[in-house]
Amino acid sequence: MTYAERTAEFKARIDAGEKIEAADWMPDEYRQAAIKFIEMHANSEIMGALPEGTWIPKAPTLRRKLSLTAKVQDEVGHGQILYRVAEDLGKGREQMFDDLVNGRTKFHNVFHYPAETWGDVAVIGWLIDGAALVTQKALLDASYAPYVRAMRRICAEESLHLRHGEELTLELVSGTDDQRAMFQDAVNRWWQPIMHFFGPPSKLDRDVLLYWGIKTRTNEDLRQEFFSTYVPKLWDVGVSVPDPDLAFDDAQGAWVWSQPDWDEFWRVVKGDGPMTATRLAARKNVWDTHAWIREAFDGIPRAA
Amino acid sequence: MDVWDVLGRRTANDEFVVVGAVKAPDVDLALLLARETHFRHKEGVAYAVRRRGDDRIHEGEWTPESLGGVTDRSYRRQEAYAGVGAKLKRVASQMAARGLRIDRPRPPDPRGGADGEPRHE
Repeated sequence: MTYAERTAEFKARIDAGEKIEAADWMPDEYRQAAIKFIEMHANSEIMGALPEGTWIPKAPTLRRKLSLTAKVQDEVGHGQILYRVAEDLGKGREQMFDDLVNGRTKFHNVFHYPAETWGDVAVIGWLIDGAALVTQKALLDASYAPYVRAMRRICAEESLHLRHGEELTLELVSGTDDQRAMFQDAVNRWWQPIMHFFGPPSKLDRDVLLYWGIKTRTNEDLRQEFFSTYVPKLWDVGVSVPDPDLAFDDAQGAWVWSQPDWDEFWRVVKGDGPMTATRLAARKNVWDTHAWIREAFDGIPRAA
Repeated sequence: MDVWDVLGRRTANDEFVVVGAVKAPDVDLALLLARETHFRHKEGVAYAVRRRGDDRIHEGEWTPESLGGVTDRSYRRQEAYAGVGAKLKRVASQMAARGLRIDRPRPPDPRGGADGEPRHE
C-alpha cells in the first residue's frame, strides 16, 4: 500500500469516528499537527499556573489560599499529563520544555498578561477557565484517544476550578462597591484577551486540526457557546462587557460582537505580551535550578 | 526511562482501565507519580501501573479510603462548591432588586425556560 493509500485509509477511520491510539500508524501530517497542538496545550497549562500562583501568598483567607494552591497544582498536573501524551507522539519532554523556555513554541495568549488584582483571580477562575472548559469539552470527541483520556481527567478538574472561580466572582459582585468595581475593572481588561483566546474565525479549508479531527469545532462556534453561557450570567449580576456591539441576534440565532484587535493577538502569541519575558524567565529559572532532580532520576538504575 | 501506563478502577465493581501514563525509572516511583498525578481527587478505589510492553500489573497499596488523602481536602473536590448555582440565583435577584441587572436580549433557554428570565444551574 502506498503512503497516499494508507493516509486515505487513516482519514476514513477518523471520518468514521474511530479513535487513534499512540501505537497506530499515522501520517506525518497528523503526528506533527497533534504534537504541535498538544504541546501548546501542555505549555499553556504550566504557564497558566504562574499568574494565579503569584496570588497564593496574597489570598484573603486560608480557605482561598488552599483552593488556589490546589488549583495551581492541578494546572501543573495537567501539563505533566499532556507532555506525556505528546511524548508518545515522538517529541521528548526535555525538548518541549527547552523549546518553551527559549520562546520557540507558543502558549495561550491569556497567560501573557498580568494578574493585577484579586478581581483578576476571579476572572481567570471563572471566565478564562470557563472559556477553556468550552474548548476542552469539545476535545472529548477528538480523534486521538490518549488525548481524549487526558481531557476526561482535565475537564473534571476544570469543572471544579470553574466553581471555585464562580464562587469568588459572586463574593466580589455581591460585596462592597469597591469589590464590584474591582471585578468590573478586571472584566474590562480581560475581555479582549478572552475574545482572542478562541482565536480568529477558523478557515475550514485550511484548518489542519479540524481536518484530522484533533479539534472538532470551529473557533467561532466555541466563542458563541461561551457568549451564551457566560454573558447572560454577567448581565444578571450587573457586570457589563466592554463591547458595545455585543448582542444576541434572534434572527441569526447567534451573538453579534466586535472584532478585537487581531494584531495584538498575533503580537502576543508570537512572544511579545506584557508578561511573556518575565514568565518565561521564571520557568527557565526553575528548569535550570532543578536540573539536579532530572539528573537524579536518570541515575536510578532501571528495575528488572 | 521507562513509560508506565497508569490504570485505575473507579469503583470496586469496575475493571482496571488505562487512564494515562507516567515516566519513571522503577515501579515504586511509577506508583508514586501515578497516585499524585491521577488519583489526587479520589478518582477511584484502586490504582496500578504496567510497564509499557509488559503484561504484569503492579497495584498500588493505598486502600480505597486512603487513596486521595484522609485529611479534609474537600476544597479539591466538587462537593466543596455545592450551592454555587443557588448562590448565583440569589445574587442575581439581589442585583435585579437594586436595579443593576442588565436587561438585554438573551438566547432562548435550551431547557425550555421563559425567555428573558435569568438562567442558572
